[in-house]
This record gives sequence, C-alpha cells and structure tokens, in this order.
Amino acid sequence: MGIKVVKRHGGTFLEKMYVQAVFGGMKTTLKHFTANLSDASNIPTLCYPEQLPTDITPRYRGVHRLTHRKSDDSIACVACFMCATACPAKCIEIVATEREDGVDEKMPAIFNIDLLACVFCGYCVEACPCDAIRMDSGLYSVIGDKREDFIYDKAKLLSIKGISKEEFSLAK
Amino acid sequence: MSTFLILLPLILTLLFSLATVPILVWMERRVAALIQDRLGPNRCNVNGIRLGGIVQSVADMMKLVFKEEFLPSHIKNKFYYLAAPSIAFMSSFLTFMVIPYADNVTINEQTFTMQALPTDLGVLWFLAFAGLGVYGIILGGWASHNKYAILGSMRATAQVISYEVAMGLSLVSMLITYGTISLNEMVTYQSQSFFIFPAWGIILQPLAAIIFIVTAFAETNRAPFDAAEGESEIVAGYHTEYGAMKFGLFFVAEYIAMAASGALIVTLFLGGYQLPYLSTQDLINHFELVLWLIITFAAVTSLLFLAWVKKHNILVMNGLNETKIYTTVIVGFTLFAIIVMSYYALGFGNASTVGVMLLQFAVFTVKLFFLHFLFIWVRWTLPRFRYDQTQKLGWNILLPLSLVNIFITAIVVVGVNYGN
Repeated sequence: MGIKVVKRHGGTFLEKMYVQAVFGGMKTTLKHFTANLSDASNIPTLCYPEQLPTDITPRYRGVHRLTHRKSDDSIACVACFMCATACPAKCIEIVATEREDGVDEKMPAIFNIDLLACVFCGYCVEACPCDAIRMDSGLYSVIGDKREDFIYDKAKLLSIKGISKEEFSLAK
Repeated sequence: MSTFLILLPLILTLLFSLATVPILVWMERRVAALIQDRLGPNRCNVNGIRLGGIVQSVADMMKLVFKEEFLPSHIKNKFYYLAAPSIAFMSSFLTFMVIPYADNVTINEQTFTMQALPTDLGVLWFLAFAGLGVYGIILGGWASHNKYAILGSMRATAQVISYEVAMGLSLVSMLITYGTISLNEMVTYQSQSFFIFPAWGIILQPLAAIIFIVTAFAETNRAPFDAAEGESEIVAGYHTEYGAMKFGLFFVAEYIAMAASGALIVTLFLGGYQLPYLSTQDLINHFELVLWLIITFAAVTSLLFLAWVKKHNILVMNGLNETKIYTTVIVGFTLFAIIVMSYYALGFGNASTVGVMLLQFAVFTVKLFFLHFLFIWVRWTLPRFRYDQTQKLGWNILLPLSLVNIFITAIVVVGVNYGN
C-alpha cells in the first residue's frame, strides 16, 4: 500500500552519544573555513560601494519615473489623481492644469513625490491608467543633504531613464 | 636581568589575557564569517592600514570605553551592581596566573619560574578562581533587579555547579596519572614518550581530555553551553541591564576565561610548552640544529603568507598602500630574525637557555591559539543546548564517565607501580 515507513534516527546508543554528529558538523564547518581561507574569491559577499549589484531587474521597485508618450515625447500623465489616491503614504502631490497643445485634455502642473515619506509599495504604478508612472528605474539608493533633496519634482521624474525595454508609455 | 626574568611571566600573563582579547574578538568574527561564507569585518582602517580587520575590534573597544556610564534608576544595590563585572573580570584574569609558559630557566646558578605566581598548587588555584567567576555573573544578575538577568544568572549558576563536579573528577584522574598537582611538573612529565607517541595528557587519558574540554566550555559559559545569555529566550541574560564598559568587562571576562581554560587544557593535555618528543634538555643540547630548522620554517611560512596576502588583499583603500607595507614589514622582520638566529646558529654566541625559553613561549602561544580556534570553531558549529539537556549531559553522562575513568586510572597506575 501507500504507506512509507520512515526510518527514525537518533535511537541507537552511538547516535545518543552525539559524538559522531558533533564531529560530522565540525568537519563541515572546517571544510567551509579552509575553502574560504585558501580562496576568498568564492565568497558571494558584495563589497558594496566598490562593487555594485548586477542582478537588478526591471521588476525591482526602485525610484519612480514619469513616462513619455511615444508619439511626441511629451508627458504621459493626465493628472487623474489615481496614484495620489492609492498612495498609502500620501507622498504624491499633484496640481492639475489644462493641456494647451491638443494632445490631451489635462496634465500635471506640479508632480512631486516625497521619497522620504514613500514606502515603495508600488500601488501608484498599479493604479495608473495611462502607464505614466513606473518604478523600473533600477535606482536603489537615494542620497541627499537636506529634506528638499528628497522631493522629486516633475522635471526630475521625467528625466529618469528606465532599465526595462519599454521606454515609453504603453497607453493608447 | 633577574628582575626582568621575574617580571616576564607577569608581562606574558597580561599579554595572553588582556592583549589577546581584541585579537580573539577579531578571530571570532573572522572565523565565524569564513565558516558561514562571509567576509567579516574588513573595512575599519587607520590611514589605509587595516591589519586584516583587527583595527575594528580596537575601535569597538574604544567605543565601549568612551560610552556614557549609565546607571538604571531602579537599581537599589549600586555597589553589588558595580562590583559584579569586576569580580567576573578579576577571577578570570587571576586564573591565568599559574600557567607555566616555559620550563624553569637557570641563569648564573639562579632558577626562575616561568609562572606568574610561582606556586605548586596550580590546579587548585585554577579550580578556585574558575568557580569564582560565576559569582560575578550571579551578583550581576541579582543586582540588576531584572527577571531576565536573574534567570540568566540562575542558569549559569546551576550549570557551573553541575559541571564543576565532572571537571574536578576528570582532573583527579589526571592528578593520579601525573602524580603531582604542580602544573610545571605535569608539563615536564609530558615530555616523555608513551610507546611511539609523545606522553601528552590527551594520549594517556583521552576520556578525561574530552570530559575536561566539554566541562571547560560549560565553565566559561561558551556555546554550546551559553544558555545563561540565550538571547532568543532571555534577551541577554545576566548582562541585560549593563552598558558601556560595565558590559565591556563582562565581555572581556568571557574571552579571558576562554583563554585561561584554553591555557589549562594546553598545559594538562597538549603537553604545555613542550614540542613532541623533545625535552628542554634536548633542545638546549641541540640548539644550533633547532635554530636552522626555525630559520627554514620562518622563511617558508613568510613567503607563503606573502603570497596569500598578495592574492587576497584586493580591496583598495584610501591612504597608504597596504600590500606594499605588509611586504616590507614581513620581509624585513623575517630577514632580521634570520640574521639574529644565524648569528647564534653559526656559533658566534651562546644563548641556548634564553633561546629555548623563547621557543617554548612560541610553542605555547601556537597551541593556545589552536585551542582558541577550537573554541570558536565549536561555537559556530553546534547549536545551543536546551537547559535540561545541559543538566542531563552533566549529571547523567559526564559525571559517571569521569568516575569510571578515575577507577580505571587508579587500577592501571597501581598495577604499573606494583609491577615496577
């Protein structure tokens, strides 16, 4: 039948003395120690500021960017406030304005993201109906001297390049 | 000269206990890292010189020293609270005093003992002060007025009391074997040969050696017997309420206790300062040959070490060029040592007594550091014993085993003496 009898370990006198197990474990750790001591290049540790990570994928949630339209390279955002509504940290500040060039009806006059308040949850990206905001920049380190440095405005967000193949907004 | 020789073992005691603590902390972290496939501390530097990361432990020490001395307001017995770390520190420090670092040196008809405390009651002194170390822990735990602290110190107390018994009994079998309680005579005894092996304690009494090493781990509250500071259950155990240098003293005491236990294990079971098969007299008589061997050894090891440094020192720091400086220092030092040694090896001067003494210091240091490595290696291999398992191992296994060992040893020793 389908009953599989699992062999139980640890019952015999020899096993109860733990000597075998202790020396077995010490052999394993010594193997790691000697291998790493004689050739440290196999250690996977990244010496960070000098060596940079190479395994950041487009799905990594890095710093936000605002995408451009493929047709005329203008801003894809239509200032619908969906991202600002979805944001649990309330870190997106949008001021909408009328769009004069006839491409669309609305666009943001101000689009600020406070990266100190942002929790990098990605809800804004999911909420966006125009594929106008993305987090595929691959930037994992945000540096600044003062609080104002961490508020990324529209121009800054538009200038960030993505690491995925899709450079422009996919919305029609 | 004679004053210096009297003070020398004291200086060595200070070196082996206090000065090795930063090195031990560094060793602990680096060995742990390598065992776990990590790198460990390797960035802290003074103008680019990192010494493989030792600078980090010096920096940590400085931090502890300069931190604010903080006294929790709920503590009623301030004196006990403050005295506890010093007791833990003092007792583990004093344990070291009786270890012989080299054979007795006779210069100009005057004999100097290479023990900081020239006493024949070495083993008793060790037992007394190794047991006293736990008083600091108990007092600290109680005076902290904290549940976790008192739980930790209760655990430490029960554990040390249980293991003291097995430790004392395994020592008794060693005393029967050696027929003396003077540590220096024990080491002298171990310079003989036992069939084809050196008559080291670990070969004469393997069972007693294992029991003693296990109990020494328990006595020093080191993994796998560190339930007293089991951070997964009781925060940090007895030093939960301690900070700054008061914590630092507990921390240093643990390492000195480890060093002292290691030194006693070396003395009792690994032949102390002896090289296998070679007694002090043999070394003095064939001092020139010994020197040539050391010169070869020094040249080969420093070349190997240089190659290793060149291969692994790849992280470029700001400041001085590290690899270049290490190469200069190592080559310079090795050349200087070789020149000095060849001066004596070629027979221009006679310093065999002092030379053998230095050689024995070096042998003792190497063995001691091997023991340190063993302590660290075990710590990063074995998980912590549950508290009842600790007690079961102590009372149900180690105690009967050590009693049986005493009986067997006594029968064999009486039989051999009767046969002679």
